[in-house]
Amino acid sequence: MTLTNTTRRTFLTSAAALGAAGFFPGGVGMLRAQEGRVLNLRLDGDNSILDPGYMVGGTEIEAQKQCLPFLAEYVRDGDTFSWQPTAYVTRLEYVDDTHIEFELAPGLVWSGGHGTLKASDVAYSYARMKDSEWSGYFDALETVEVTGELTGTLVLNKPFAPFIMVTLCHGPGAIVCEAATEAAGGRFTTEFPAICGPYTYSATPGQRAVFEKNPEWTGPAPGFDRVVCHVITEVQAAELAYEAGEIDCTELGPDSLARYSKEMPENTAITTAGQLQYMWMGMNTQHPKLQDIKVRQAIQHAVDVDSILAGAFAGTSAKSHGIVCPGLLGARSDHGYTYDPAKARELMAESGVTGLELTLRTLNWQERLLTAQIIQANLAAIGITVNILPMESGPFWEMGMEEAGDTWQDLELWIMRFATVPDPYEATQWFISGQVGIWNWERWTDEEFDSLYDEGLSETDTAAREAIYVRMQEIMDATGAYVWINHEPETYAHKTSIEVVAAPSGELNYHRFKPV
Amino acid sequence: MSALPSDPVVSDTTATSDALRESAGRERREKLVRFLTDWQGVTGLLLVVIFFASAIFAPWIAPYDPNAMDIPARMSGPTWAHIAGTDQLGRDTFSRILHGGRVALYIAAIGVSASLSIGLVLGMIAGYGPRWLDNLLLLAFDAVRSFPAVILALATVALTGPSLTVVLAIVILTTIPSYGRVARTATLALRHTEFILAERSLGASTGRILFQHVMPNVIGPLLILAAMEVPVVVSIEAGLSFLGIGVLPPQASWGTILNEGYLVIRDAPWMVIAGGIPLILTTLGFTFLGEALRDIFDPRMGRGR
Repeated sequence: MTLTNTTRRTFLTSAAALGAAGFFPGGVGMLRAQEGRVLNLRLDGDNSILDPGYMVGGTEIEAQKQCLPFLAEYVRDGDTFSWQPTAYVTRLEYVDDTHIEFELAPGLVWSGGHGTLKASDVAYSYARMKDSEWSGYFDALETVEVTGELTGTLVLNKPFAPFIMVTLCHGPGAIVCEAATEAAGGRFTTEFPAICGPYTYSATPGQRAVFEKNPEWTGPAPGFDRVVCHVITEVQAAELAYEAGEIDCTELGPDSLARYSKEMPENTAITTAGQLQYMWMGMNTQHPKLQDIKVRQAIQHAVDVDSILAGAFAGTSAKSHGIVCPGLLGARSDHGYTYDPAKARELMAESGVTGLELTLRTLNWQERLLTAQIIQANLAAIGITVNILPMESGPFWEMGMEEAGDTWQDLELWIMRFATVPDPYEATQWFISGQVGIWNWERWTDEEFDSLYDEGLSETDTAAREAIYVRMQEIMDATGAYVWINHEPETYAHKTSIEVVAAPSGELNYHRFKPV
Repeated sequence: MSALPSDPVVSDTTATSDALRESAGRERREKLVRFLTDWQGVTGLLLVVIFFASAIFAPWIAPYDPNAMDIPARMSGPTWAHIAGTDQLGRDTFSRILHGGRVALYIAAIGVSASLSIGLVLGMIAGYGPRWLDNLLLLAFDAVRSFPAVILALATVALTGPSLTVVLAIVILTTIPSYGRVARTATLALRHTEFILAERSLGASTGRILFQHVMPNVIGPLLILAAMEVPVVVSIEAGLSFLGIGVLPPQASWGTILNEGYLVIRDAPWMVIAGGIPLILTTLGFTFLGEALRDIFDPRMGRGR
């Protein structure tokens, strides 16, 4: 143990030196530089599964981007996004419609003595993804041919131009270390079996996740030595922390976005990642109370989405007409039902159902609870009693999964939001027949939808592709299982002294943040 | 012995009885005067009366339906139309506060009376029963007291989901030991008194001794304790609702109003103020009232005036 003896004289000397440093421009700069090496951010919850095959997404993808290799990454081009090869590759290019060749950068080392990053790790990672919960991202991938220690070819089973943007740039495109993952039993949860990236990762549940500079990393140095992500569940609490100077960047809730837009706090800038989120109220088509499509259609007609946008989202988000977000191929300007309480009552009368009582489950977040209360009032107007059940994120994200228990059998209504990537294919994958009991909690199947999904993967004509995704959303409308709500923008308030880098779906990429 | 009016013994007894009655009446008057001259007691009583009245008559005095939405008027500041402003869904905050008082009253009334009754019975059993039972019940009381109410609530809600019933159960469970311990101590003090020994020697059953002779002597301090526990119970409910594990939307409670207000404190500060004031006043009211009653009925435990 080392003891430090601080005498009164040494204390005064140190204090005077620090005070003097503050008086000089260089001194201030020095102090700021010290401060600038640590980036304080917010996590909306603990990362529970870091394995790309079984993650929930969101901040887990953020962690993967700091610690695991990717072949490609998003790059912002004005208001749109494109892609670029990452520092992990020296070459990544389409050689024809179905072949993407890559060459890894040499000398990138896995932690824990697992050797260097090899093309075989890429092949291993993507092969296991094809059998994972995120397999939809790899439907277009036939195989990965390893042609050398650092080289290989991604072979697609059909031409699919968005593959790099949709899959390789996003969380499922993470590459894991074959040796370490196998040693860990083939799957992992809260710890990476091996890392190869700019930062190391450690987490204290309920408190923070810390990313420290990886001493073994030989790629480009990140902008900050240390990134501390504090677990702050409520976005409003995070905003308070931001305004108090405790964190450097936070997502903004709708009310704060409206307020910031009117009056921006000092030294603050806003970065909007994108509008690639879609929120809806889902209905379990197999639940005895909701098996009658007339009841579901009545619910569709009864919900006043405009009131939700104004009341719960302060008018800061775009109205949704389906799962394809604004600006993407297949985005619609209307949908197959309207807010019409009289029609809703008529449908309820036709169904013959009276005294219906339903449970609406939602995350225990303010906007969701406000949304739920408006829906509750709307459905009360047509004689349906809705009980709101607020839930923590852990049980919420498992409730429709058959593998996670029996809650899926009791699911009636829920408010859900998914993030997506800049291609409509990604959003549709969660609703095919194979996803029933995984992410298709509405539990309907449709052969036409499934075949259109396959067609959408291989169709290269833009107009035809657009027609496919419009039709798929029409099929979803017709199930009566969806009330489309909104597309929330992912908006971040941050200090003007940092440059924020976010994926179009909102995940932050800390190692690409830069002090300005 | 005859019981003629001229009988000096009877005459003496009547005189003694009258004197006792007069003494008791004088004592009651003195206590009432003491209470009425104690500003804290009167303030407490006034606040408690307001709390009860506003909660009971909320449906008639609330200017709006507490759940009626008026989204265009969301987060409006206090005006004559909405004296405490509106919330995110344009609901009248004042009406929600009045109806929130009903939740507080419901929890306080049911929670306190249930925990008092259970605590009283368990405490008397502990104080009068065999040693092993006393030790067992004390252990149970201490175990419950040592477990933080919020943690217990979180664990329960994880299993059952949030609801008013869960809040009530938590309130009852966590406040039983307070009553139980007081009842036990008072019963222990009475256990070897002459009138209890006399009853026992006459063959009275344990139930009769406990409920006819011990309970009337034990209930007084418990009622004073109950008055002082009400704000604790109201705070537990508000705290759990604030954390989102109490009442379910759209039901208004002071805790949910505070929670919703805290989330928009920079845009609509009146919500937190309006939600906090009744909680503070109710807590003060019951505390003042309880302390004043304690000073009067149990001066040894008083504020040392």
